[in-house]
Amino acid sequence: MSEQTPTDLQLEFQINGRNMKRRAQPHQRLLDFIRDDLALTGAKEGCGAGECGTCSVFVDGKLVKSCLMPVAKANGTKIETIEGLAGWGGDLTPVQKAFHKTGASQCGYCIPGMVMAATSALRENPKADIEEIKERLGGNICRCTGYTKIFEAVEMARDVLSGEANAAVLEADGAGKSYIGNNVRRLDAPSKVAGRLRYAGDMVMPGMLHMQVLRSPHAHALIKSIDTSEAENLPGVACVITADDVPGEDGFGVFVHDQPIMARGRVRYVGEAIAAVTADDMLTAVRAASLIKVEYEPIAAVFDSEEAMQNGAPVVHDYAPDNIVKHIPIRKGDVEQGFADADLVVEQSYDTQAVEHAYLEPEAGIAYVDHDDVVTVVSPSQNITHHRHMLAKIIDRPINKVRFIMSPVGGGFGGKEDMIYQGMLALSAMKTGAPVRLVYTREESIISTAKRHPARITYKMGLKQDGRITAVSFRMISDGGAYGLSTEGVMRKAAILACGPYNIPNVQIDTYGVYTNNTPSGAFRTFGAMQSQFATESHMDICAEKLGLDPFEFRRINMMQNGAVTHTQQQLGSVSIGRVLEAAEKASRWETGPVSMRGQERADLGGDDTRPPCTLGARFRKPGDDDRQEVA
Amino acid sequence: MMGRKMRGRGMAASWYGIARTATIDRAGAWAELDDGGTGKIVTGVTEIGEGILTLLAQVAAEEMGIKPEDITIGDNDTARSPEAAHAGATRQTYMIGNSVALACRDARAKLDKELAEHWDVEADSIEAFDGEIWSKGSNLKMSMEEAVDICKKRGVVPVGSGSFTAHGTGLDPVDGSGSPWQAYVFGTQVAEVEVDTVTGEVQVLGIWAAHDVGRAINPRGVEGQIEGGVVQGLGQALMEDYQLEDGHTKTHGFAKYILPTSLDIPEINTVIVEDPDPKSPLGAKGIGEPALVPTAPAIMNAIYDAVGVRITSLPATPEKVLAALQAKAAAGQLEAAE
Repeated sequence: MSEQTPTDLQLEFQINGRNMKRRAQPHQRLLDFIRDDLALTGAKEGCGAGECGTCSVFVDGKLVKSCLMPVAKANGTKIETIEGLAGWGGDLTPVQKAFHKTGASQCGYCIPGMVMAATSALRENPKADIEEIKERLGGNICRCTGYTKIFEAVEMARDVLSGEANAAVLEADGAGKSYIGNNVRRLDAPSKVAGRLRYAGDMVMPGMLHMQVLRSPHAHALIKSIDTSEAENLPGVACVITADDVPGEDGFGVFVHDQPIMARGRVRYVGEAIAAVTADDMLTAVRAASLIKVEYEPIAAVFDSEEAMQNGAPVVHDYAPDNIVKHIPIRKGDVEQGFADADLVVEQSYDTQAVEHAYLEPEAGIAYVDHDDVVTVVSPSQNITHHRHMLAKIIDRPINKVRFIMSPVGGGFGGKEDMIYQGMLALSAMKTGAPVRLVYTREESIISTAKRHPARITYKMGLKQDGRITAVSFRMISDGGAYGLSTEGVMRKAAILACGPYNIPNVQIDTYGVYTNNTPSGAFRTFGAMQSQFATESHMDICAEKLGLDPFEFRRINMMQNGAVTHTQQQLGSVSIGRVLEAAEKASRWETGPVSMRGQERADLGGDDTRPPCTLGARFRKPGDDDRQEVA
Repeated sequence: MMGRKMRGRGMAASWYGIARTATIDRAGAWAELDDGGTGKIVTGVTEIGEGILTLLAQVAAEEMGIKPEDITIGDNDTARSPEAAHAGATRQTYMIGNSVALACRDARAKLDKELAEHWDVEADSIEAFDGEIWSKGSNLKMSMEEAVDICKKRGVVPVGSGSFTAHGTGLDPVDGSGSPWQAYVFGTQVAEVEVDTVTGEVQVLGIWAAHDVGRAINPRGVEGQIEGGVVQGLGQALMEDYQLEDGHTKTHGFAKYILPTSLDIPEINTVIVEDPDPKSPLGAKGIGEPALVPTAPAIMNAIYDAVGVRITSLPATPEKVLAALQAKAAAGQLEAAE
């Protein structure tokens, strides 16, 4: 594919101040060209659809999403990338320094694009106020920071650039008397704000091959046959692997190893890996994957967790004929007696949805077999220790012949705890003897990787008229999807924390993780606790209203104290719930009153510590001018 | 009477356990006081964005008596570094932070012993900070660079190792009894919202987030974790929804799967509460996950305060809020008619 074809483009352009004359292929986007051909990997591909802004660059001074621009259009332009803002070895710009100072970079993957957008905002309007800054950053997604430190950084840079603030504000705070409790600036921030940090998808190795995965279009089907011969015969293809190529004991998962690295005789969800092609370049790999012939026999599927628990429902895994991955029970006291003793019993059900982690860095990795015959996988894995154990078994190698290197993680939130693709990479590297790289597209990442468990919760709480809780019965059914992954642990944490930091003498908690033919659910920041406590804290307000109590007061009546015994009968030491209740109440200037629809009567609304509501498009103003300004 | 734009406030409390659940958790680290008075830390886990590398450098600097920027961290490699297990479960500060502290103390003890003999003082009189080392109550003082040089010339490389354990116990399979964590954190958030009763759109204008994190090693980093958690909670509360139809996703890109962007962000007011952990050298606990827990219920409680509708099914999309408002109005008319 690398030889010149009649359709090759001849491009002349300037990039980061340097004039260049290069050949490019017509299918390339500007992003591909600057990353793959020019090795400028500061601009990232977060979505490939112009929605996330990680690929932002300047073209003739205008902020452009380079994933949307065909490279042909770059001919004759002046391009500026994140690498060109400061230059190698050069001092960081005030915008970059401000991002460093305020802690505006966390995982850093969105940050090059965010720095470009911020730079653009201040170039377009050096006096932009915070509302305009927010609107001008509206095309860039950050999943880690909550944007707050980014806003602070852009305002700080604006003030330094305009001379309103001294440049010294960008520098480090002093040592003081201790480095504990000190706002030491992030040591990894300069590499992130300058676009220098290389994530797995930015890495290249000599002789590196590229992988494309073939995925299931069926939610539940038997695989009758897989014919890879045509794909294998395509020039440029190095190998095609399927489950048959696994030399050891196939299966991974955080608690139960029920997932093969590629479907084995049966697919259980749409997007499950079937086969993987490794080729000289991506185009060949993609073309070869389309030549693999898979014969499926669709079988009955189940998409609802409660239906999956019924007798006669389609069985997702033979080892679990009831489709239950894990049931966690917690019992304390006598819950029936507790309800009998109550003056009031309140029942309600709650639902939470499946949620995508949406880390800006899609899954990526490189595997190779080193000179000492060590199978090495470089990937943004959140659990290299466990992955090493599992992979050693899967490829049947001693554990010291398997090496995992954790590349910088462009956002994880639990979603990179699963060894979902590293097995395919390792196997292909072993088969080809060459380094193999795999980079997911955003669509692949969304359809094939774990989500937050959706949950259906039924809640019953018994109360005395004075506000004391006498009993809780809590039942949560969670859709675990097609494979176990972290479901067992998620059910456990959801159950332990379900009833909140309250003293409840009689408790009955049941959480169930259930197999279905949906996208698997897995680890996601809070590991089930968000779902169960959403129900508890909503229920607390419903009950407070019925009792005519202020929500803080109601929680204080029931909160655990130092030395409390939890729902799992653990005795605690110091318990800080009283302190955090008081701190939030005080900080928010909370106006005490019983729960009801009293918003319009409150005097604590709209303080300086809130933002004004937003009306789209209302914020663009030219300096010194009240007219709205169109912005490209 | 309801106007078009209605405001309200709600709150929610929460709790969370630190490190792995219902099991013994462990992490290891190696440390070396290196030439030039610098420090080297090796441990098996790396940054996922939370700021752990900076935090470990702060801990190592404090324990070794040097500057954070003089710490080099060798991390992230199963073949080159000791096990630190995984980057999750709000365990990095607690598990790796403490193992690094222990490793540095071990290294410093070796240096201090040599220096004590060199100075002819008691080893426990030796203190160090920010690149200088001295013997308390004397005028003996030198740079860490010199101290490391002396130690090595006496034939000792000041290296140390640390392993930190958190003692959780499994749950009883029948009644669930057990001690899943040795450290717990608590949090409370207040949300202020504006509900557009014509479109059903909810905007969150303010969040007040008070969280116990144990000892805060890097307060700005703690704020960053809370702000990020709040915004993920806001996304789940109002807009994010991974949808499937017969197993096929309908939300396969960011045009369909809606995430919070800069215009959705409330003013986030963080209050850090420090209730130090008595069972670990650092006294720190953690904040990565717990920051997200109370946000969605606080927002739902605020919507109720604003317009009197209770959303029990996440997310509270404009369509869902509008339907609830219409149902409430219809019920009100029915009541009036009766």
